[in-house]
Amino acid sequence: MPDFEPKIVAFVCNWCTYAGADLAGTSRTKYAPNVRIVRFPCTGRIDFMLLMKAFENGADGVIISGCHPNDCHYTSGNFHARRRWITFRSLLDFIGFDIDRITFSWVSAAEGRKWAELVDEVTNTIRAKGPFTEISTLDSSKLKQLFYDEITK
Amino acid sequence: MTKKVLSNNLSGNGINTFPMELKILTSANIPTFFNNLLQSGKVVVAPVLKKNGKVYFESVESYDQVSTDYIQTVFSAKSVVFPKVEELFSYTKKEDGSVEITNDMSNVPETVIWGLRPCDSSAFNYLTEFFLKENPDSYYKTRKERTTLISVSCAKADDACFCTSVGLNPGSTEGCDILLTAMGDFFYTEVMTEKGKALIDAKLFTDTEEKSKEEFLAKINIKFSIDEVKERIQNAYESSEWKHESMGCLSCGACAFSCPTCTCFDIQDEGTTENGKRLRCWDACGFGQFTQHASGHNPKTNQTARRRQRLLHKFKYSVENLGIVSCVGCGRCIRICPAHLNIFENILNVTKA
Amino acid sequence: MTKLQNKVAELFENGTINLMIGFKNALTNQPVPCFIENASQAELLIYTPECKNNLAVYLHKPEVKQSKKIGIFGNMATLRSIVQLTSENQFWDIEKTILTIDANDEVIVFANMEELETYVQENFPDISEEDLKLLAYLDSLTREERWNYWTEQFTACIKCYACRAVCPMCYCSQCTVECNQPQWVKVSSKTSGNMEWHTIRAMHLAGRCVNCGECGRTCPAGIPIHLLTARMNQDLFKEFGTRPGFSTKGEYALNTFKVDDKEGFIK
Repeated sequence: MPDFEPKIVAFVCNWCTYAGADLAGTSRTKYAPNVRIVRFPCTGRIDFMLLMKAFENGADGVIISGCHPNDCHYTSGNFHARRRWITFRSLLDFIGFDIDRITFSWVSAAEGRKWAELVDEVTNTIRAKGPFTEISTLDSSKLKQLFYDEITK
Repeated sequence: MTKKVLSNNLSGNGINTFPMELKILTSANIPTFFNNLLQSGKVVVAPVLKKNGKVYFESVESYDQVSTDYIQTVFSAKSVVFPKVEELFSYTKKEDGSVEITNDMSNVPETVIWGLRPCDSSAFNYLTEFFLKENPDSYYKTRKERTTLISVSCAKADDACFCTSVGLNPGSTEGCDILLTAMGDFFYTEVMTEKGKALIDAKLFTDTEEKSKEEFLAKINIKFSIDEVKERIQNAYESSEWKHESMGCLSCGACAFSCPTCTCFDIQDEGTTENGKRLRCWDACGFGQFTQHASGHNPKTNQTARRRQRLLHKFKYSVENLGIVSCVGCGRCIRICPAHLNIFENILNVTKA
Repeated sequence: MTKLQNKVAELFENGTINLMIGFKNALTNQPVPCFIENASQAELLIYTPECKNNLAVYLHKPEVKQSKKIGIFGNMATLRSIVQLTSENQFWDIEKTILTIDANDEVIVFANMEELETYVQENFPDISEEDLKLLAYLDSLTREERWNYWTEQFTACIKCYACRAVCPMCYCSQCTVECNQPQWVKVSSKTSGNMEWHTIRAMHLAGRCVNCGECGRTCPAGIPIHLLTARMNQDLFKEFGTRPGFSTKGEYALNTFKVDDKEGFIK
């Protein structure tokens, strides 16, 4: 699909990944412009529903990134986040969601290059997969309605 | 029996004056009649057996899908005229700053609901009275105008059925456009309205004289006298029995959502400041937040008060507001309740002498 | 009177309890939860394999908690829920007396939580055969087929919240869906709103659900939602070795962590 430019939303922690992305910028590293960054104080703050909401609102891919284990600015936020990600990933896979559209990573404040490479990699992967329409078409798809519910709309 | 007879016309006030027509439809011709309805371009909603062994109303594509050997569906057919989620309008902000509001009901299709039970079709009378009496609801009006109701009499009933206690019976013609009663190898057909008559194909139906339905109908014991209940319930508000009768209630919305006469709804906006929709969604008086005020005060502080409200609404407040008991004895709430609460058992206990 | 009925009457008579939650036969001839307030009503109590409701959910109900000294009859699901709820410190304001009937038809009254914990650990049930088969079937599908299966199921949901109502673990006085500043989970019962609800429910129960299966049994639309949490429990046991309802200590999968949790999927 030549004209498709994926929309990637990135949920990142302020102290490590956001700083790393900043470093990529100040180093004038060139990388894909498809990412929209949302800043959090810590990955432990990232609610799993935010990922679903991102996809519902048109994201084609999502990146979640934070401090390396043992380096969390708040000591253990990323440990809790990691457990949450393991659980949520399992749930999403079970309901048939394409978990390859979500990428988790640890990117520290010094890893500007890693951030740039990560975004490039994810953008290429998502571009190859194509636009994500499974969630945005949920309510209007012609699924067999158990209820006579807006069949006309 | 003081149940008010409502007409099937939309104004809801007045007696049905259409002269009833009596026909015979042979069982062999039922699939043809049904498939003709489909072919005429109408949406046909009928009971379908699902994998979990229960029967639900669904739009179908052929008579093969229709389930005939069951007592009652899990959910009522009210979703045809009162959907679980209904778009009231959509809005879009235009470039010049004005807001465009769109509501297009022209796509609501002509629909036939097949296989309603007499209790269900009677419930539509209540819905019409509720939605159209004082401030006519245009959404309900449009959908109801385009819906024809074909009921089938009940040959079987279970312990949860109690239509005979609320002034109905398994062969009642209240509220429907056509009532079919199975009598061996044919269906005795009572055509109750113009709408029903419009569906009758002279090639499939033959005239007949009046027949007795008695022996083909389920026998349902009367659990209580509706007149006695209506009288005693006037003083039931303070009864100390309510607490015990509501202990099991877990405040879900299952009874209200499956009930053919429950009409409570919530308005929700979904969208952004640029565009979105206003939706009408089902709501239930059993939910804790149903009567929560913005101030934080909740006049119905506990589940006892909420359950009492539900039962009094069915047997007292509907009578005061609209002249009819809104419970039709279909028994869905009893079958669906996770805690197995039983509405007629509760009513009997709070109206004990 | 049966052994159970006698025991309960005794507990009323010596003042140990002033409310008993158990099962009785209903008019429609199936066991229903019942609430007994004195010894003379004890003869209503029954226990059969059809008594499947998880009665622990009533221990959160304000009208029930008014009684302070509550007796509760537990099938295995109820007992495990009580263990899990104890680990979450949810019984600080009531005294409870827990009864059950063991495999030899003997009535057991648990003297304390340690006894209950031991009993539960010795008789800890596996996930049912039927559910294992369903899970295996779902695992055999491709990702797209699984998505189609679940989205079709979620379309049938009417957001009655019966699943939330029967779950003993859902005890929040204000559920996340009832918060409307912001309206985090859609209220409407369209497929996307339903998916949001079931996802959030499964995640909030992950590591806490005791697999009683009540949510799936109670769902009026026939959706096997208990499979979502059952799968969560299976995976969390594999990853972290935790089992809800097993211990009264306050640790479960998502409120703790290990520094060396495996993380193969993180770049």
